[in-house]
Amino acid sequence: MLPQTMGSETNIKLPISFIFFSLFALVLSQIQLLVNGQLMTDGSFRIPVIWSSAHLLVLGWALMAAMGAMYQLVPVAFLTNIWNERFGFIQFFVTAVGITSFAVMLYWSPQNAIIPGVLTLLGILMFLVQMVMTLSKQAKPTIMTAFVGSSLVCLFVTISLGITLIYSLKTGFASEYYQSIFKAHLLMGVTGWFTLLIFGFSYKMVPMFSLSHGFPMVQAKYVYGFYFSGLVVSLVSFFTNNSILLKIGFLLLLIGFSIFSWHIKIIIKKRLKKTLDKPFRFALVAIGFGNVIHLAAFIMLWNQDVGHFAGPLIYAYLLLWIVLSIVSYLYKIVPFLWWTYKYSKEIGKNKVPSLKEMMNEKIVPTLFSLFIVAVLIVFCALTFHVAILFNIGQFVLSIVFIIIAISILKVLKK
Amino acid sequence: MMNTKEKILSALKSVYDPELNINVVDLGLIYNIEITESNDVTITMTLTTPGCPLHDSITSGVRYSVEGLEETGKVEVNLVWEPAWSPDKMTPEGLRLLGR
Repeated sequence: MLPQTMGSETNIKLPISFIFFSLFALVLSQIQLLVNGQLMTDGSFRIPVIWSSAHLLVLGWALMAAMGAMYQLVPVAFLTNIWNERFGFIQFFVTAVGITSFAVMLYWSPQNAIIPGVLTLLGILMFLVQMVMTLSKQAKPTIMTAFVGSSLVCLFVTISLGITLIYSLKTGFASEYYQSIFKAHLLMGVTGWFTLLIFGFSYKMVPMFSLSHGFPMVQAKYVYGFYFSGLVVSLVSFFTNNSILLKIGFLLLLIGFSIFSWHIKIIIKKRLKKTLDKPFRFALVAIGFGNVIHLAAFIMLWNQDVGHFAGPLIYAYLLLWIVLSIVSYLYKIVPFLWWTYKYSKEIGKNKVPSLKEMMNEKIVPTLFSLFIVAVLIVFCALTFHVAILFNIGQFVLSIVFIIIAISILKVLKK
Repeated sequence: MMNTKEKILSALKSVYDPELNINVVDLGLIYNIEITESNDVTITMTLTTPGCPLHDSITSGVRYSVEGLEETGKVEVNLVWEPAWSPDKMTPEGLRLLGR
């Protein structure tokens, strides 16, 4: 028998600081869109208010929530302690100030967003240092290390390209490559960083939440191989303006994502827990959406009017795959963090609640179904340029987001 | 009347995996209970997965629950990964609670 004495629980104040900040950013980004976003219905995505709201949603909410989740999940998934928790708190402060000032500056004066952008970059670099140092302590790297490690590389590339975009806007530097850099920034951020990260942690969380046992892991290597190759080929296509290469890249991404969906289905079939928790079921629904959108993106490349569909599809991918996955897992992660803080010293001494009792699960099906319907309404509004549809969908979505944030924060009362 | 081992097992049944809401005995996490003549206890146990986020909480809970018994002295929890946990280690009650 191999004794295991290493503790791997993080100081919960660190992940929870990131997650609470993220929930406030989520609410703010939605209010901002609600007040100004009707401009999007004219197809005007690249305007200051959309930049600001998109970055509040993507950096302030999704990135900060992902960082918080990583501070909690990395030690348990890779069986190694966080390299330096004190450094983690400093990183939180730098990133939070950076993202807040960045979003404000993008709104008021985008050409002066370089300093907050650099501060955000510094915060993200500090996070990367923390994670690289933590992962390097892992005794035996696994396929999850490849997914999470590659997602961190993509995050670094995304932020570097974002800073280049701002610098280009201000000085005209590499202006002939502006479009290519912009596309690469989106690809690396959305499909590189977030998708690879969700893939990696899904291989830990899906078996854990479904109590699956005895499933094969060989498919994960193919998921990684196809998806990562797809990212590289698509990236090269942007800078060479080669449409065939782009089609090959998107096909590889589609194959990688499809193998992932199939693999998760195999894992779920091997589960012991007959009835899955409601938020977790929506994390699985998000995989289906991600797969369908990858297929739609590949088909879109054969259409002459690619630009018309690209914006709505990126929006749907962000919301129905990335945001839905993160929100679903937050409903599992936040109760766990709070339970650990409040009850980990009580277990075995007094009666403690189960994690399910920490959160009101009853509202999840209605709330998440409304979320999906609202996103689909906004998607149609963006595709067919119907302002009234956009306003209805975005209004419902903002309300749903605010209720989600409140219901997650209500766990603190348990 | 219950002997010490039975009392320990009964105490361990009050320690629940908060994610699954099943106690550690019915989950089949307890591999062995050793009691010395001076009533010091060593519990050998596992978790359902090596990366279980409730690692420290569950092992501490196991220790606290047995330390609370009058009959026991020092309590040590020995967490092992081999043999790995598998569903066949669960009790029929544990499986029933999972809907199996």
